[in-house]
Amino acid sequence: MTLQHCGRKGLVMLKIKHFIQQSWLLIVASFFFGLLIAVTNAALSPKIVQNKINKRNRLVGALLPDAKNFVLDKEIEIESIQGKKEKIEVYRAMSEEDECVGWSFNADGSGFADKIELVVAVDKDFEKLAGFDVLASNETPGFGDQIKYDYYRDQFKGAPAEELKLVTSGEPKNIDAEIVAISGATVSSEAVVEIINSFLTQIKEQMQQKGQISNDRQE
Amino acid sequence: MTDKSEVRTALYGQTLIAGLWRENPVFRLLLGMCPTLAVTAAVKPALTMGCCVIFVLLCSNIIVSLMRNLLKPHLRILMFTLTIATFVTIADLFLKAFVPEMSETLGPYVPLIIVNCIIICRAEACASKNGLIISVIDALGMGVGFTLTLCVLAGVRELLATGAIFEIQILALLKEGGWFVPWAAMGMPVGAFITLGLMLGLVNVITKKDA
Repeated sequence: MTLQHCGRKGLVMLKIKHFIQQSWLLIVASFFFGLLIAVTNAALSPKIVQNKINKRNRLVGALLPDAKNFVLDKEIEIESIQGKKEKIEVYRAMSEEDECVGWSFNADGSGFADKIELVVAVDKDFEKLAGFDVLASNETPGFGDQIKYDYYRDQFKGAPAEELKLVTSGEPKNIDAEIVAISGATVSSEAVVEIINSFLTQIKEQMQQKGQISNDRQE
Repeated sequence: MTDKSEVRTALYGQTLIAGLWRENPVFRLLLGMCPTLAVTAAVKPALTMGCCVIFVLLCSNIIVSLMRNLLKPHLRILMFTLTIATFVTIADLFLKAFVPEMSETLGPYVPLIIVNCIIICRAEACASKNGLIISVIDALGMGVGFTLTLCVLAGVRELLATGAIFEIQILALLKEGGWFVPWAAMGMPVGAFITLGLMLGLVNVITKKDA
């Protein structure tokens, strides 16, 4: 059947037929593969989510040794360093006797090479930092990734929960608002301090407004 | 009859050896350079990457080989990519679920297996033209060849960058009373380029001698 012999409707039918002939395998395979991925995802996603929670709890647990479990307390909206509105989940750390022993939240911002994701822990009155740990980062091995090392992180343990300052020289063992930068990785050190400052001050402010901090069982 | 099966066995052996040495994807075909350079800072991630590639290569070769007679020539690359992407996604999910730390170390390089030329090359050059058995053997040969190369490269780099292989300390570090000063550059992209270049040169010298 040539094109002249069939009408407009016939032409459309011919085109559809041609399309199906050419691509039926693609369509069938797409459905099949999509199904395969959906099944795998359904089977594995609870485990993946659990892995993330476990990792977070393990890191916070190391920072707040008294904490036994972590309860999602509330979501606080803050403005990120780039000026975007973000919802931050603040977790209440509970001890074995069901008392609040501290707070923790995730914080992120740009580092030297890629986004740095931190988890920050604070004591129950938001007066002192209990420390931070790195959830995900892609800093230069040997230099920027030293933000994961104890000698840098220990400077934050017990530091006052207020605006921190980065200095290039000083004694890292002194626990105060001055954080000594890692030599050769000033950008990464700065990024961590900046992220903590930005998130901590805003969350602290909002917690104080809601009267959450001084009276910890109040809801 | 025995002649035929002998010929066949020889062909299978040839296919396997091709992937391991004669047509080694990294050293001879120079394919899949992205993971070769990016994940070989240590042996563990290199091995994980290699296993993922073997899995994806095997699955995609099987599927492509099974549907090779149904493929429309102008849509074949699309079908290859679709197949590869499916299995890479599955491999990525498995890594995230069972070895979350390794999955974080590898980061974007697992999803990037989709554009790894080795896999699409084997689908195009082998699986879309050959039967199931040859395709499977080819996938195993190429995959294992790729993995071994990655591990050798990573072994050299990890040893020079940290004095350890598989995170087991081999060379005594200077700061722990030994003599070895870690060579941080080897853990960085520079180290990857230098090591790969030297190894390619070495392989070229060896193959020249053979011929």
